[in-house]
Amino acid sequence: MNILVCIKQVPDMESRFKVDAAGTWFEESDLAWRINEYDEFAIEQAVQLKEQLGDADLTVLSIGPARLKEALKKALAMGCDRAVHVVDAAAHEKDPFQIASSIAAFAKDKSFDVIFTGMQSQDRGSGQVAVLVGELLSIPSLTTAVEFALEGDTISVRRELEGGLKAVVKAKVPALVSCQLGLNTPRYPTLPNIMKAKRKELLEVPVADLLTEEARLETVSLAYPEKKGSALVLEGEVGDLVEKVIGILKEKTAVL
Amino acid sequence: MELTRELYWNVGHSVLIPMYLLVAAAFGVLIWGLRKRLAAYRLGQPLDRTDQRGERISGVLRDIFLQARVLRVKGAGSAHGIFFFGFVLLTIGTTLVFLQADLLDPLFGVRFLTGNFYLFFSIVLDLAGLAAIVMLLGLAVRRYLLRPKDLPNVGDNALMLGLLLAILLTGFLLEGARMAATELGTDLSWWSPIGLLFAQPFAGMGETAQRSVHTGLWWFHFALVLGFFCAIPFTRLRHLLLTPTNIFFRNLGPTGKLRSLDLEDEEAESFGAAKVADLTWKDIFDGDACTYCKRCQDRCPAWNTDKPLSPMKVVNQIQEVSFDNPEANLIETVTTDVLWSCTTCRACEEICPAAIEHVSKIIDMRRNLVLMEGEFPGEEVTKAMESAEVNGNPLGMAPAARADWAEGLEVADLAAGETAEVLYFVGCYAAFDKRNQKIARAFVQLCSAAGVKVGILGKEEKCCGEPMRKLGNEYLYQMLAAENIELIQSTGVQKIVSACPHCFNTLAKDYVDLGLELPVEHANSFLAELLQSGKLKLKSENLDCTYHDSCYLGRHNELYSAPRQLLAAAGASIREMEKSRSESFCCSAGGGRILAEENLGERMNQTRAKMAAETGAATLVSSCPFCMSMFEDGIKGADLDEQLKPLDLLEILAERIEA
Repeated sequence: MNILVCIKQVPDMESRFKVDAAGTWFEESDLAWRINEYDEFAIEQAVQLKEQLGDADLTVLSIGPARLKEALKKALAMGCDRAVHVVDAAAHEKDPFQIASSIAAFAKDKSFDVIFTGMQSQDRGSGQVAVLVGELLSIPSLTTAVEFALEGDTISVRRELEGGLKAVVKAKVPALVSCQLGLNTPRYPTLPNIMKAKRKELLEVPVADLLTEEARLETVSLAYPEKKGSALVLEGEVGDLVEKVIGILKEKTAVL
Repeated sequence: MELTRELYWNVGHSVLIPMYLLVAAAFGVLIWGLRKRLAAYRLGQPLDRTDQRGERISGVLRDIFLQARVLRVKGAGSAHGIFFFGFVLLTIGTTLVFLQADLLDPLFGVRFLTGNFYLFFSIVLDLAGLAAIVMLLGLAVRRYLLRPKDLPNVGDNALMLGLLLAILLTGFLLEGARMAATELGTDLSWWSPIGLLFAQPFAGMGETAQRSVHTGLWWFHFALVLGFFCAIPFTRLRHLLLTPTNIFFRNLGPTGKLRSLDLEDEEAESFGAAKVADLTWKDIFDGDACTYCKRCQDRCPAWNTDKPLSPMKVVNQIQEVSFDNPEANLIETVTTDVLWSCTTCRACEEICPAAIEHVSKIIDMRRNLVLMEGEFPGEEVTKAMESAEVNGNPLGMAPAARADWAEGLEVADLAAGETAEVLYFVGCYAAFDKRNQKIARAFVQLCSAAGVKVGILGKEEKCCGEPMRKLGNEYLYQMLAAENIELIQSTGVQKIVSACPHCFNTLAKDYVDLGLELPVEHANSFLAELLQSGKLKLKSENLDCTYHDSCYLGRHNELYSAPRQLLAAAGASIREMEKSRSESFCCSAGGGRILAEENLGERMNQTRAKMAAETGAATLVSSCPFCMSMFEDGIKGADLDEQLKPLDLLEILAERIEA
């Protein structure tokens, strides 16, 4: 079986963000980078599937500048067989359709049976890339998976819906699965696997070889939310606090 | 009358040949038994412990012949010590008899056991024997009647006590029988007062009866002694030989420094210890040298807060597996809950009379869990590890905010090319934790007041890697350390100070293996020097406090007096806790436990907070950001926040800077 997992490197969300000079994205200085959290679930699920099947080939792909080698190395250490680095120093300027098109262009002649992605990215959060890839490859997309199983050639995914509802959907391979929090606990790479990862294949593909589409969305501007008022911290005895909270709720809201 | 006695009285010199043949046979059994044990030691990895022989030998003399470590614990330790001295005197006495009767007299006609020396010899041996018997009886009462809590008791103990007691008693009976026939009624008999007492039952017998009883007793006593030699390798009596040997092979430091793993080793298939063969021979030998005295267990903060870890048990399990089932999985035997419970506080190693190294064994097994299995005590720890990889700190804070605490203070950013006299290595908790930032600010204020220009690595500083290393993540530790070392070396700074004992210990001892060779000091000793040289001036203001010795300042670095000098200079009076200095009780944050939830047993930080409250002092002073975090929680958790306030030593000093 042939498996692809698509990942994105994002800034750590605790980072101190500054809007860049163009006002359309954030500055990269002083940021700490990591694998998008949902994509780690995708890697883990792909590796578990590979372990379940025994003979499977697992490729990890990411689009971006040189810094994302670190993310790919971690994915390899977690158990991917090879990494594909689609080199694009300006990946952050691409819209979700361009990103999805690049992935689809890479995947179209590789006959992947299962493609794993995260549900969305932690930085841009458009949530579009996964389903766009599915559509561009004309394969079913099973989104927001919190449970995954493969039996024979049928994928079964439990999805998280609004209001605490869960749904189980099935599809035959090939199919795309986007992963949600709760699917699994990503493994911590072992030292022998970190060492092995250093010797695994890391393929570089210039983005120009894959991308022919124009952007369909434009980021007009990026800004911090306006500061409106400030949080109120109440301190003191629990009894008094309750009184105060009730007072505030009566005064400023329609709850009571 | 000549002041002496006839050696080999009654039994005659004809016993010499059978006696020495039997002694030789007993020694044969002894050596054979010990040699058999070598195979188990050889399972372990090589480790050179034969350097600094002078120091090694003097340690053996101090700890064995002066019983220095044994005597540190009153009661059982004192009894063991006195028994040992008695036993040594009796051995010297026997050796003197051998020298005169079997060597010097027959060969050269020299006899020295006469006259006043004989009287001295006689009374000393009698009293030594008495002391030994009383101590043995005391120890037996303790073991079998008082029954100290959790003292492991096996058949060996009864055998050892019984055999030694029987040897001593038959010795006195033998003396009594001889004296009844030869010395009763003479002045000489007063120089063997215990023998005289034992002579009474034989006094009424005729000489023939006395002689035949004496012959029987002589052979019985001799047989017991042979049994004693033969029993050494097969019972816990082996500690007589193996504990001194272990003290010779002890770790000569630096205290608490861990072995660095060669992570680039292409040949290595496994890291850390999953089997005894992954440990060193010394780790296996340690188990054989253990006397099961449980001093380590008595002091272990994990054991004392109802966690499953007993350092003694870990050491014993390694020994048992080495001898009984060397292929067994050590981690399954010891269990992960036990391994993760250790705070590496070193209370066990510090008190061990056999110089056993408990902590490194636990770390070796943790290394296997982490490096080979990717396993941690909990998900919160995995997350902290990942944060340290990504953000350079286990708290997951933005690296760009690392130097925010220093705003408005006079500090140079060495990473940005500025210069300073010393590098202040801040550490993650003082850099990011709101409460602990006050400690960092206090240190800089104190240095400025003393005219010392301090530099930091700013937002480029990374976690020193200590919690990761102690939790077994040698890979992450080495990565973080290498980045710090490269950066430190690039600044050209010549001296490093840290106010965090964990950073201090790591930079001073562990970084050496990775190439950092600059002098590293803890803020306490650094400031104590500035105080002594008059550069730092403090106002004396009353403060009623107790002082908690952090494990990594105290037991790991013996910094007991500097913090107390500083507190005294600040006008503080210390009410010492019962467990202070080398007996200090860990706050729970060591060994990387600061990153882990404490889910087993009682909360260690609350236990310690209660000990502090018992002194009646209003302030709990510590000198470690980890301790501070633990006491902030522990004091609240134990409902002591009305009566006890945690403060760092540096905060107290900074409040008292003489303008």
